[in-house]
Amino acid sequence: MPLDTSTYSLAHLRVDGRRWNELRRVHGQISTQAAADGSSYFEMGNTKIICTIAGPQEQRRGGNSGQSHDAKVEVEIGIAGFSGVDRKRRGRNDKRIQEMQHAIASAFTHTLFTHLYPHSTITIHLHVLSQDGALLAACINAATLALIDAGIPMSDYTAACTTGSTASYASNDEAADPLLDLNSMEEQELPFLTLGTSGGDDQVSLLIMETRVQATRLEAMVSVGLDGCRQIRSLLDGIVRAHGKKVLEARVT
Amino acid sequence: MATMTTLLPGEDVPSSQFPKSKKGTLTLGPGLRHVPPSTILATTAGSLQVDHKKSALWLEFENGRYQPAVGDLVIAQVHHTGSDHFFCSLTPHTPHALLGQLAFEGASKKTRPNLKSGDIVYGRITKASKWEDTELECINPSGKADGMGQLKEGMLFHVSHAFARRLMMGTDKSGHSKGAVVILEEMGEKIRFEVAVGRNGKVWINSSSVKETVMIGRLLTTADEEHWDVEQQKKAVKKALQDA
Amino acid sequence: MPREADPSTNEQAFLLSALRENIRLDGRALDAYRPISLSFGEDYGTADVRIGKTRVRATISADVVTPFVDRKFDGVFTISTELSPMASPAFEVGRQDQTEILLSRILEKTVRRSGALDTESLCIVAGQKCFHIRADIHVMDHDGNLVDASCLALIAALLHFRRPDVEIKGEEVTVFSVREREPVKLAMQHQPFCVTTSCYEEGTILLHDATLLEEQCREGDVLISMNKFGEICQIAKYGGAPMDGLSILTCTNTVLERVKIFDQLVKDRIAEDEKRRDVGGLIAELSAENDR
Repeated sequence: MPLDTSTYSLAHLRVDGRRWNELRRVHGQISTQAAADGSSYFEMGNTKIICTIAGPQEQRRGGNSGQSHDAKVEVEIGIAGFSGVDRKRRGRNDKRIQEMQHAIASAFTHTLFTHLYPHSTITIHLHVLSQDGALLAACINAATLALIDAGIPMSDYTAACTTGSTASYASNDEAADPLLDLNSMEEQELPFLTLGTSGGDDQVSLLIMETRVQATRLEAMVSVGLDGCRQIRSLLDGIVRAHGKKVLEARVT
Repeated sequence: MATMTTLLPGEDVPSSQFPKSKKGTLTLGPGLRHVPPSTILATTAGSLQVDHKKSALWLEFENGRYQPAVGDLVIAQVHHTGSDHFFCSLTPHTPHALLGQLAFEGASKKTRPNLKSGDIVYGRITKASKWEDTELECINPSGKADGMGQLKEGMLFHVSHAFARRLMMGTDKSGHSKGAVVILEEMGEKIRFEVAVGRNGKVWINSSSVKETVMIGRLLTTADEEHWDVEQQKKAVKKALQDA
Repeated sequence: MPREADPSTNEQAFLLSALRENIRLDGRALDAYRPISLSFGEDYGTADVRIGKTRVRATISADVVTPFVDRKFDGVFTISTELSPMASPAFEVGRQDQTEILLSRILEKTVRRSGALDTESLCIVAGQKCFHIRADIHVMDHDGNLVDASCLALIAALLHFRRPDVEIKGEEVTVFSVREREPVKLAMQHQPFCVTTSCYEEGTILLHDATLLEEQCREGDVLISMNKFGEICQIAKYGGAPMDGLSILTCTNTVLERVKIFDQLVKDRIAEDEKRRDVGGLIAELSAENDR
């Protein structure tokens, strides 16, 4: 279903009634799965993800292949058949998913203190229950929460969000507005990018864009994205603190 | 090297080329195989080399990977540490060579060198056979290091193993390089640097400045790749020194 | 599982200290490429790219198939990549290796998703017959920067390729062989190229066209695909060391400069090749537009 973007210019309201710089509702829970070493449940609008962490545990395969002794981060993404609009089975060998796994793994390899766990593997399992845009971003946020629950030291939260631009690449209109946190209808129609930040101000640890866009449009998209990541980061921080408080209070009484 | 004989695999070495030996025995080097009673076959393509004094003959060839041989000086990279050996790699994707943790100058059970994976050592091969692990040591029979041991800092450059051999041939009595490589000698007159050449095609160079190390390393690798003769080498060294 | 041999600690440390002094081991400037050679094969649609010791060959082929049911008016365009042990002992036949997945994804996004090839022009009879353009990327030698080399080879091969001419009379479709009619060029909408920027020292040192050793030592990389009109087709920074948002933006400017050089290079080589083939102006004579 093509999205009619022309209405945006009239009221400056998007299909779901948000303004350009508004995030969708973000909700997160920590320690949802008792059996896992760390787990979380994360929602960004209608994108819903459960993340479980296994590890750090002994390396599974004969690990003398490399010289490096640091812990290895592995990611497995399972997309439920009922998560999308049309029921589609995605194989494990889908290159798009493997690419996402690689992106998430290498983003966290850098923020986690992997040198503290020699010869071990940290496995991040992500289960996508419902997709409505910003899949990669939601996966990263969910993984951040679960890794904190697992108690693996890291230098900073990795927070991610998506940004788009109202102008498609065909039209060359200068009045294009950047949009924050697209839903799946907007993602199908507009150029967008996923941005992940970690470690202080405006440090981009991950940036993936798959659609064609004018280079001049990029600056606005990135700066709105950085702002969005800042918001997500403080939301994640709130979730972690609230959870920590709850755990401590339960211990006292 | 007045007349050079080039042999292809399977060709006989012409008996006219055999060195005259008092004892009637010949010493065969790499690339040759003896088929009784008196045929010597080439097992690879290369140029025949003859040493009349030692009544030895062997083939010089450039292709293939380095095959360890006893007595070769090599640069090995530590891959991981075992209980009493360091597992080192001489060439990538081949079984590891063993370097005893006590095979260093002054090493004892208490003072053994602490090498980490990724470190490089200069050592000599003590055991090389088809069926067993290759073994290395960083110590002379007299117990001296003699230049061997861990190589700290510096940079490793990769050349072909034939070129590494030429670098190690040294000079004859009149001071000419036997291997027809003069880069290190020419450079040594102008700048100070340390060098270690491994038979497995690795050259380690260390000098006080990054620029000089890179310059020497690049001259060596391009001389190898483009088969420079002595005159070209001299010219290139002169040019490099001027540009620096 | 074979993997690329890790460089020694001495090499890693030296490479970084050299980069801090703006020196690269092969004497290039930080944003310079190794010498690039681009040549075409005897047949249409074969391009051979060498960047230093890295060598990639792209081959395009076409055949007639039925289009996908949900895309009746579009032809089919597939890109397949193969990393064989010929390129490096670290690659294995049949096993999907991380490098291969990323390479094929980047090519897919750069060339296919950005609509570089006009797939509608490949349609012969809607819903029944269309061309299937298949691009095979073979990596022959791996010394770093596979993505840039593969992308360059792919675009050059697509521009060089000619598909058989077709004639439609009512329901009847005739596909002419190369001997009967001069084959026709593919309809390209734009020519995107990918440029990889490697970063070191927390994103303070940026360089182009990393060799294998430089790739093994880098902290992160940014792959940006652009065309000469300044449109970004794809950006991929998969994790790695964080970078300043601003330096990514400045990256796109240097990438654009490089892309323009690539574009000119391909254009020149294609023109040279056409001149070589057009001995005695035969091509003009054989053209389909001429009266027969």
